Amino acid sequence: MNEILSIILKDTYSLTSLKHRLRILQSYFLKTFFGEIETSVNMPLSPQDSNWLKSLPSSFYQKFNKDNIYNIFSGLEKIGTNTPILTMHLAFELNDTTLSQIGAFTRKTFDSPSLLLDIKVDPNLIAGTALSWKGVYRDYSLRAKLEQKRQELLEEFRKFLR
Amino acid sequence: MPNLPLDPTDLVLTIAIILAILLYLREYNQRKKLESEGDRFLREIKEKGWETLNQSIKKSQAVIGQAELEGIKVIAGSQLETAKFEQDLSKQLSEALNVSKQTIIAGQNQLLQFMQDLQKRSEEFEGASKKAGQERINQLFDRVEQRLSDFMVQTAQQTTSSIELELKSTRQLIDTYKSEQLKLIDENIVAMMEKTLSIVLAKKLSLKDQLELVYEALEKAKVEKFVV
Repeated sequence: MNEILSIILKDTYSLTSLKHRLRILQSYFLKTFFGEIETSVNMPLSPQDSNWLKSLPSSFYQKFNKDNIYNIFSGLEKIGTNTPILTMHLAFELNDTTLSQIGAFTRKTFDSPSLLLDIKVDPNLIAGTALSWKGVYRDYSLRAKLEQKRQELLEEFRKFLR
Repeated sequence: MPNLPLDPTDLVLTIAIILAILLYLREYNQRKKLESEGDRFLREIKEKGWETLNQSIKKSQAVIGQAELEGIKVIAGSQLETAKFEQDLSKQLSEALNVSKQTIIAGQNQLLQFMQDLQKRSEEFEGASKKAGQERINQLFDRVEQRLSDFMVQTAQQTTSSIELELKSTRQLIDTYKSEQLKLIDENIVAMMEKTLSIVLAKKLSLKDQLELVYEALEKAKVEKFVV
C-alpha cells in the first residue's frame, strides 16, 4: 500500500493534485476492470493527466486487480489523510511546473519525501511565502519584512519628504 | 382532866367579845378626839382666813389708791409731755419741711443742670455719631473698593489660568490629533508602500525571482525548525 502511495507521491506535490490523481486513477481502473465510468470523472483526460498515467511503471499497474481495487483505494485515502501537509501561502498562482519545482525543493529542504503542499494564493504577501504547519502560521513574505522594517522605512520616507 | 366550870369555847367567845368591845370603845374615843381637834383646826383656819382677807382688802384698797394717784400723776405728766412733743414735732416738721423744700429746690436745680448736661451730651453724642457714621461709611466704601479690586484681580487671575488651562488642553488635543494623524499618515504611507510594492513587484518580479524568494523563505523556515 505504502509502495503504491510512494509511487503516486513521487511527482505529486499538492493535496489537490493527490486527490485529483487518485480520482482519475480509480476511474481508470474501474473502467479497465468493470467498464464503469464515475460521473464525477466522466470527462476527457487532460494531456498532463494522460502523461502522468503513462509515466507510471507497469509494475504499478500489476498491483491492481478486480478483487483488491476497492480495498487499495480505500486504504490509499486513509493513508492520504495521515500524510503531513504544509499549507503554503503564495502571492502568485502556480502552474504544474512551478508547483513541481517548489514541491521538490520543499521536500528536499525539510527532508520529507511524502510531504504534501496545500497551496493558497494571497496577493497581499507581495512576494515570498507564508507557511502554516500544524495550526501555526508564520509569515516569511516580503510584507512581513516590510512590517519589520517599517520604522526605518518611515524614517527614510520622511527624510525623503524633507 | 378536871372539868372547867365554863365551856372553853364560850370562854374564848366571851373574851373575844370583850376585846371587841374594848377596841370599839378605844376607836370611838379616838374618833371623838380627832373630830374635836379637826373642828378646832378648822376654826383656827377660818379665823386666819378672815384675817388674811381683811388684810388683803386693805392692801388692795391701798394699792388701788396708790394706783389712782399714780394714774393721775401719769396723765398729768403725759399731757405735759404730749404738749411738749407736739411743740417739738411742729418745730421738727417745719424744719423738715424747710429742709425738704431746700432739698427739692436743690434737686430741681440739679435736674435742670442734669437736663442741660444731657442736652449738651446728646448734641456731642449726635455729632460724634455723625462723625463715626461718616467714618464707618468711608471705611465701608474703602473696604468695598478694596474687595472689588481684589475680586477683579482674582477674577482676572482665574480667567487667565482658565484660559491657560484651556490653551494647554487645546495644545494637548492638537498634539494628540497631530500624533494620531501622523500615525494615520504613517499607516497610510506603509499601506501605500505595500500597495505600490505589490503592484510594482508583481510586474517587475519575474517568476524566477518569486521562486527564489520562496526558496529563501523555505530555507529560513528550515533554519528556524518551523517544520519538524
